[in-house]
Amino acid sequence: MAELPLEYTAADRPVPAWRTSLRRRYREFKLIGQDPILSMGLFLVGIFVFLFVFFPLLRVIWQGFFDPTTGAFSLKYFAQYVDPYYQAYHFQVLRDTITMGVMTAAGGTILGFIFAYTMVRCAVPYPRLLHYLTLLPTISPPFAIAIASILLFGRSGLITKDLLGIRFSPGVNDIYGLDGLVFVQIITYFSVAYLIIRGMLERLDPAMEEAALSLGASKFHIFHTVTLPLLIPGLAGAFLLLFVEALADLGNPLLISGNTSVLSAEIYLAINGQYDQQKGAALSLVLLIPTLTVFLLQRYWVSRRSYVSVTGKPTGGQLTVKEPYIRWSFITFTTLTLILILSLYTSILLGSFTRLWGIDYTPDLSHYGKALGRGLNAVLSTTFLSVIATPIAGLIGMVIAFLVVRKAFSGKEALDFTSNLGGAVPGTILGIGYIIAFIKAPTFVVGLLYALLAGYLVSRTVSNNRRRILIVATGTLIGYGLSRLPGVIFIDSFWRYLLALGTLVLAGAMFPFVPPARRRGAILALVIMAGGLIVYNLSPLLTEPLATWGRAMSNRTLSRLTIKTASAIRVFTQPTMTILGYTYLVAALFVVTRARERARAWIVTALLALCAALVFQGKPLALVGTPYIVIAAYAVRSTSATVRAGIAALQQIDPAIEEASTSLGADTQQTFRNITLPLILPAFIAGLIFAFARHMTSLSAIIFLTTAEWPILTVWILSEVEQGGMSTAAAYSMILIFIVLAAIGLMYAFVGQAFGAREGIDLTLGGG
Amino acid sequence: MFLRLRNLTKVFAGRGGEAEVVAADNVNIDIEEGEFLTLLGPSGCGKTTTLRLIAGFEFPTQGEIVLDGKRINDLPPNKRDMSMVFQSYAIFPHLSVFENIAYGLKIKQLSRDKIKQQVAEVLRLTELTGLENRAPNQLSGGQQQRVALARALVMEPKVLLLDEPLSNLDAKLRDQMRTEIRRIQQTLGITSVYVTHDQIEAMTLSDRIVVMNKGRVEQTGGPADIYRHPASAFVADFIGHTNFVPGTVVESRNGRLNVEALGQTLSVLKPEHELQPGDVAQLVVRPEMVQIEGEYRHYTGVVRRASFLGDRIEYDVEIDGERIAAIEYDPRRMTIHPEGSAISIGFLEDHIYVLPRDA
Repeated sequence: MAELPLEYTAADRPVPAWRTSLRRRYREFKLIGQDPILSMGLFLVGIFVFLFVFFPLLRVIWQGFFDPTTGAFSLKYFAQYVDPYYQAYHFQVLRDTITMGVMTAAGGTILGFIFAYTMVRCAVPYPRLLHYLTLLPTISPPFAIAIASILLFGRSGLITKDLLGIRFSPGVNDIYGLDGLVFVQIITYFSVAYLIIRGMLERLDPAMEEAALSLGASKFHIFHTVTLPLLIPGLAGAFLLLFVEALADLGNPLLISGNTSVLSAEIYLAINGQYDQQKGAALSLVLLIPTLTVFLLQRYWVSRRSYVSVTGKPTGGQLTVKEPYIRWSFITFTTLTLILILSLYTSILLGSFTRLWGIDYTPDLSHYGKALGRGLNAVLSTTFLSVIATPIAGLIGMVIAFLVVRKAFSGKEALDFTSNLGGAVPGTILGIGYIIAFIKAPTFVVGLLYALLAGYLVSRTVSNNRRRILIVATGTLIGYGLSRLPGVIFIDSFWRYLLALGTLVLAGAMFPFVPPARRRGAILALVIMAGGLIVYNLSPLLTEPLATWGRAMSNRTLSRLTIKTASAIRVFTQPTMTILGYTYLVAALFVVTRARERARAWIVTALLALCAALVFQGKPLALVGTPYIVIAAYAVRSTSATVRAGIAALQQIDPAIEEASTSLGADTQQTFRNITLPLILPAFIAGLIFAFARHMTSLSAIIFLTTAEWPILTVWILSEVEQGGMSTAAAYSMILIFIVLAAIGLMYAFVGQAFGAREGIDLTLGGG
Repeated sequence: MFLRLRNLTKVFAGRGGEAEVVAADNVNIDIEEGEFLTLLGPSGCGKTTTLRLIAGFEFPTQGEIVLDGKRINDLPPNKRDMSMVFQSYAIFPHLSVFENIAYGLKIKQLSRDKIKQQVAEVLRLTELTGLENRAPNQLSGGQQQRVALARALVMEPKVLLLDEPLSNLDAKLRDQMRTEIRRIQQTLGITSVYVTHDQIEAMTLSDRIVVMNKGRVEQTGGPADIYRHPASAFVADFIGHTNFVPGTVVESRNGRLNVEALGQTLSVLKPEHELQPGDVAQLVVRPEMVQIEGEYRHYTGVVRRASFLGDRIEYDVEIDGERIAAIEYDPRRMTIHPEGSAISIGFLEDHIYVLPRDA
């Protein structure tokens, strides 16, 4: 053993702070880099969040200041806020938006508090049933309550017209307008507040209140000097969250705001009515400011002022209200509200079975016939895309949660923040961002991501910086050249066969340079890569006859099912070349690290050429019009929920358990698979259910991205209502609610089996 | 040297404006093969950080860790050939006792038979045979502790790391497990690094003790050496009970030091520290080195407190305004001097250690 110097002289020299800090950051990443799976996870998640949250938002903000046709800088729409001609209208909208937000938040928080207090403190009968009924609005389409309100309290409403006999004429206040909107929003969103406040109430240590009681304070005194102050962070959090949700909502305002208008609806109309991207973007920015402010307040101010530990389990005993009149007033109020909510949902159910609501109440099944006939495509498309997006959101959420809870690295905060932002910003803004960002190929971003991935690949496989640059340059140039070939000399499919052939040749050429033990994996990976390209080419051989056959079928339902199956197969077999290229870049790392050191240079070059050819082919990432962008939008909207679920689950696990696994020789990947995953699986599945429900019911982000081939149910419901087809809309809504409930039931059954119903799953992820 | 820590420093960056924390400050420790070494100190002294640096759960800001001649600074914990026993046991709650113990062997991809055989062996060693199929929540605290130990031992690591493994057990079980751990360590001859804040654990288990304070190593040595010749006032105070008596060096001669303390001149053994006549010093006088009404009679004092504890009597005696704690163990003299009575007191001069004033 070489004798080590006893003292370091270098250590005595002062090192500037920025250098140690930079060195630390570099080291943190180096640490993560030692675990290829983890670093790949970080990479892919980072790319996803950057591409589908950060970049579109940036583009929206940018677009607000530039004329889309000329590209010139202009403050046209911001100027309207000071222009006397437009000013009045714009400020009216702004005022109404804020009023709606504040009133919804206040009303929802109060209602949520009353519900939570009833459930936790009033020893209410049938607590579970009431709990699940309260959660009903979280799993139904966002405008279900608006539809129901119109059915019950509208101009031809069952209660207003038929029971109360009100005749609506100009001057009579109806459900439409700001008051109706606030009512609907409160009912729609109060259950979120309920979940947050309930969680806080449950975690409140009764000992504190008992202590106050033993010090001689009266019940009321305790409530407003101990209980309420301790709940303030929860109440404030609920208020702010509801404010953001209300501002972001698009469905309810479109249906029920009548002559008043709010920002989210204005944005929608600017894009889908006036086709004015700049106006939509400028208004988005106006909406983004209060939303972001509140989001930041919620995240950095309220959450830090919590006295109640967030991870603590509910303490055993709960105080209950003894005074019967207080207890029964709470219970009565809650029950009455639940009856109102139930009657709202019942009206949807009844509405879907009624011939013409308000005029002819004869039972009628034709709306379901219509919904499952003409609308079957929408039902199938929405379900299919939601299902595909669910595991994506789940995996991304888990990776982010794992990194956030267990790893230390710079940029962690930013990753967590941005992933949360995707769920928090109004969907309309995100939707516009997607259109602006992905209507044309975002060349710069495509190139940047390629460069990052390629750089990472060579840095992990080749030593010496000059060689690395040379390899990336050569591989990329060849690949770029290849990517320009289709359209010049080849047809697309022939070009892909050529690439597949090249990949197979590479597999053959690599053979002698891979140690026998690792040969199978490397060769198999290359064969699969080539196979992917061949399958892409061959897929029409299956899908085209299938679609033709489907079209020729006499049974309409079967016909629609068959055609949809054909398109669903295409989603998997014919992905966008760019996405395929990025995937292959990741796979390339796996292949190259298996080869011997001396052969790596040319293997990396060849693989880079293949990937570059795929990435830069055609119009890279011009995703608008493809189902992929809908999937991405879904996943982005629900990732914040899966991240939260994952973080909550991981924080329950003692880090020492994972360290013990590492200490026994397992790497991060083995630890995750053997230890972490089994322990967090119940929470993970709950996160998946929530994600799926959120996909099925989301509207605002998707409304801009839906296409004729991939119609979305929520969008169809909206247009049905706009055309006056209330009953058909109700039928669609019932179908949607049914699908979500079925999914929840299915997952419950599965988890119940897998864990012997040992761990309960609850859907409380909606809040917080 | 088998495992050496060289100038090991760990700085935790302060979050959100907080000052950074130096958890380990230039730590140098050499550990020999087969040795049982304990890191001892109060909470927050850096002992656990040092252990986690060795294990690889933290990476040093500066310095290096060398195992068996190889620098292992940048190796992740799973590549270090060490295994750790955690304070919270960290038993995998979803795996049985057998699966818990076999976990690391499965990662190593040993054959089924080999795994079975090795697990059976370690079960015998830790006296867990028969509990293989139990779930962790069906085990008592002591059994869980054994499983945690067995799981680490079965890996036959080069170094066994133990992070306050006994702190969650009740006093009686702790005594028992202490003996057990020492027995197993001796049987296997396994190099062990043990972290504790309990001096009795440290004294009974260790070949050598490293006393740490504020991220620094205060003293390294055998249990007796540390008790008798503490390198600093902190060590003297942290391990056992101590009277610190101020004094001035009068003369240094023939390997002895004449020190004037509380108006008397004592002749004590010369310490390792350089002390010159005229230097202000402090005498480390253990209570059991104070004689009451015995052959040494340096001072006369007044009893301020007397407590009878069965096997011993504890006194606080006041001399010249200084309070001196004394313990009488002599079973032949069980008369208690009442509070307020005047008694003679003497220091066993050969067993008194002298420290410089600022040590």
